[in-house]
Amino acid sequence: MREKIFEAKDVVIKFNLRGHTLTAIRGASIDLYDGETLAIVGESGSGKSVFTKSFIGMLDTNGWVEQGEMLLDGVNIAKYKTEKEWLKVRGKKIAMVFQDPMTSLNPVKTIGEQIREVITYQFGTDKAQAKKEAIELLRQVGINDPELRYKQYPHEFSGGMRQRVVIATAIACRPKILICDEPTTALDVTVQAQILDLIKRLQKEMDMSVIYITHDLGVVANVADRVAVMYAGQIVEHGLANEIFKDARHPYTKALLMSLPQLGVKGHELHSIKGTPPNLYKEIKGDAFAPRNPDAMKVDYEYEPPFFKVSDTHYAKTWLMSDKAANYRAELAKAHEQTEKIEPLPPKDYSNGKKLVSVRNLYVNFKLNRKEFSAVKDVSFDIYEGETFSLVGESGSGKTTTGKAIMKICHTSSGDIYYDGMKVNGKMNNHELTEFRKNVQMIFQDPMASLNERAKVDYIISEGLYNFHLFKNEKERKQKVIDAMHSVGLMEEYATRFPHEFSGGQRQRIGIARALAVEPRFIIADEPISALDVSIRAQVINLLNRLKAEKGFTYMFIAHDLSVVRFISDRIAVMYKGRIVELAESEELFLNPLHPYTNALLQAAPVPDPDIERGKKLVVYNPAMHDYATDKPAWTEIKKGHFVWANEREADEYRKILK
Amino acid sequence: MESNAKNNPTPNINDIPDALFTRAEFHEELSEEAGFSNYSYWRSTIRTFFKSTVVKVIVALLIALVAYTVIYPMITDRDPYAVALSAREWNLPPSAEHPFGTDGVGRDIWARVWFGTRTSLLLSLAVAIFEVGLGVIIGAIWGFYRKLDTLMFAIYNTLTNVPSTIYLVLIAYIMKPSIFTIMIALVATGWISEARWFRSRILALREADYNIASICLKTPPKRIISRNVVPYLVSLIIMDVALTIPSSIGSEVFLSFIGVGLPADLCTLGNLVNQGRSAFLVYPYQMICPTLILCFITISFYIIGNKFADASDPRNHV
Repeated sequence: MREKIFEAKDVVIKFNLRGHTLTAIRGASIDLYDGETLAIVGESGSGKSVFTKSFIGMLDTNGWVEQGEMLLDGVNIAKYKTEKEWLKVRGKKIAMVFQDPMTSLNPVKTIGEQIREVITYQFGTDKAQAKKEAIELLRQVGINDPELRYKQYPHEFSGGMRQRVVIATAIACRPKILICDEPTTALDVTVQAQILDLIKRLQKEMDMSVIYITHDLGVVANVADRVAVMYAGQIVEHGLANEIFKDARHPYTKALLMSLPQLGVKGHELHSIKGTPPNLYKEIKGDAFAPRNPDAMKVDYEYEPPFFKVSDTHYAKTWLMSDKAANYRAELAKAHEQTEKIEPLPPKDYSNGKKLVSVRNLYVNFKLNRKEFSAVKDVSFDIYEGETFSLVGESGSGKTTTGKAIMKICHTSSGDIYYDGMKVNGKMNNHELTEFRKNVQMIFQDPMASLNERAKVDYIISEGLYNFHLFKNEKERKQKVIDAMHSVGLMEEYATRFPHEFSGGQRQRIGIARALAVEPRFIIADEPISALDVSIRAQVINLLNRLKAEKGFTYMFIAHDLSVVRFISDRIAVMYKGRIVELAESEELFLNPLHPYTNALLQAAPVPDPDIERGKKLVVYNPAMHDYATDKPAWTEIKKGHFVWANEREADEYRKILK
Repeated sequence: MESNAKNNPTPNINDIPDALFTRAEFHEELSEEAGFSNYSYWRSTIRTFFKSTVVKVIVALLIALVAYTVIYPMITDRDPYAVALSAREWNLPPSAEHPFGTDGVGRDIWARVWFGTRTSLLLSLAVAIFEVGLGVIIGAIWGFYRKLDTLMFAIYNTLTNVPSTIYLVLIAYIMKPSIFTIMIALVATGWISEARWFRSRILALREADYNIASICLKTPPKRIISRNVVPYLVSLIIMDVALTIPSSIGSEVFLSFIGVGLPADLCTLGNLVNQGRSAFLVYPYQMICPTLILCFITISFYIIGNKFADASDPRNHV
């Protein structure tokens, strides 16, 4: 094992919030070794960001380190009080890359100046020299034409490029430790893979230790040597990446790994974690995860467990590992064995059924800076009754715009959209519109923005009932609200509460109940789980699947995450720059991806298995690879039900591949 | 709810009874409850608002002052309009009997100030409510129907580009001077800026997901405005009313000052300041006393309005 270069011991961090003193970090310890990559995994509110921010003295003004030590080069930096002291550490020894590259650069300064400033400020280098170094840094983080780019402003860079610039400023002072706080969460999957690659390369070149903070287990599998899992302000388990992924011991880690949609068996429920993560207002007694753990022991509610050793590198903070729990452990293992191995259900073919939604040659044009561009280009597809159809693509691919156009909340430029034989785009008479709105509902991405904060849950769910006069009397309305709440797993007492009292996952379920109450037939779900915590996602996916089985809904699922889509959908369409490039039955698409963009997307999506992730090669899709000058592309059926956007020559090649 | 876990210190593992290492009952409600937050927008707003001592003092003084204007006419038998026939009662300096002295015809200024404050406060409150109310309603409609933009902007430009003094004077000339006239004059000039301000707020809210969700449910615009949009503006409306009160008192004083305000024999702060002005060089207190009250009222409403605006911003709820 290499030398220990940083150590945090029993750190307790408190906050003053609205008159209360809250404990955000309840005694967390961590070691960092020279040259390693450590990933801290946790959900929002687990305290992972707060914990690492305290390493560079960047807690918000209402927070402070109450107790504990942080040893860097033998100095306890937790004692630092003034900015001046922190400046000795911040940037020079420990640097940080933040989540959102849009907000961490100054928009009115050229990026070159911003990097140069850091260098002259920290080392007192003269300007000309610093400029040279800055250009060298830009080259190092993989920016082409660094001399030219040096003079440009942040708005001239794409999201991924900006994150590269942010990384360049972070490594400008050659820090020993680089903390990356969700460095790729705001980026597309294909860009994410490139950034992760870059950080890995820089780490080797500069011999840094890197701490990743993330909620994405796929990213962790890709980058981490060691993993620490945080829950409710404590590290609950830490060990080598393989130990955590293959041999997790803490019930929370286990449940988290089991609930990943990547591991789900099609046609069956995902393993889901009940409830929601605790927020800081709650008093925590014993094991913080116990209330959500159906297999918790009585002792978990009473006393906080200590760390138990699994191996020299692997520790877990759970009573389950104690000798006294040996009997209970055996009991659980036996119960686990008895759960039968489940086989995936064969894919269902809906194409003989009724076409519920048809989109024909849809174009949606927007004007941007007086230039017109098509967000959606010549998109056509059918959705059959009862199936789950997914639209996958990166940001800017036009997937959400297509969804909104079908929902009739966005204009269309040309083409037709039909729902159950009715033409949707263009004028509809009042009767038709009522019929359409009643039958087609939407679930929104951000549960924080999609509920009316000033109305009670009762009103929110009843909104559609009022609009379509779906009840005879007050009693019937109440009953319908209660039914809708029960079907999304909410208790009826919650009807009198306001949305702000709920957590993200609960709010998303309220949103689903609102759509459900009017008994629609077709539901458009616009990234319904991407804003949710990892432990909540499985709940919502299961809920959507259960409702489909019970009520016969037809779904259109919009997503950027292929792993979720595979589990839930019957057919998948991949969109790129406004165009559908490939459409196939879901398993078929994963087994035989044809279009190079689909391939790149599949490769880029991180898989929560360190063995697979480490051997992975980065595939970058370059649209220039297609030679469409003479041989024009067209929508071609390569195999029954498997369509690709390709020209004659490419189509022939694809046919060969499938044979 | 303190979260500093009053955790039982974990005893030595051997001391923990074996019976505890068995399955505990699972309560689904408990797992759901963990995520609840006790954050309440209004509670936090009010707490943040009253955190500052300045606000506490000003609110206390203002309540006392308003209460006094209500109580005073009940507890005194002094008539603010009573003229003294004897010249000995004219232009008296402040004394125990007349705290603010008397004016040129022997009327007690103390009594007149309190009656005047009451009239002016009522007038300005009425103006503020009508102006902001009209502004919210029209602003909401304007924000929701983009087709109105051309028309409304034409009205806005016309009304705001001509100095408001001109309409105020015109309206005051055309109609008989009365409280009602002043109200119409002030509301007529003020509503459009309010409407435009609320329009921009509503435009920002209109595109929010929860409103799109209501559109998807075919909620009529009327209910979207009343249930989804206006409740979000309540704190802004309160702040706006608080800021409109001092400016309408100011306008009333100004109009009275140039002689087109309320009838000169009515007790208002404007008339009092105006009457005090003529005798200012000889008997300065006749103007200074009403002006002090006027300044206190306007300044405190401004401070309260601004502090409330800060407090109602969720970013300040720390």
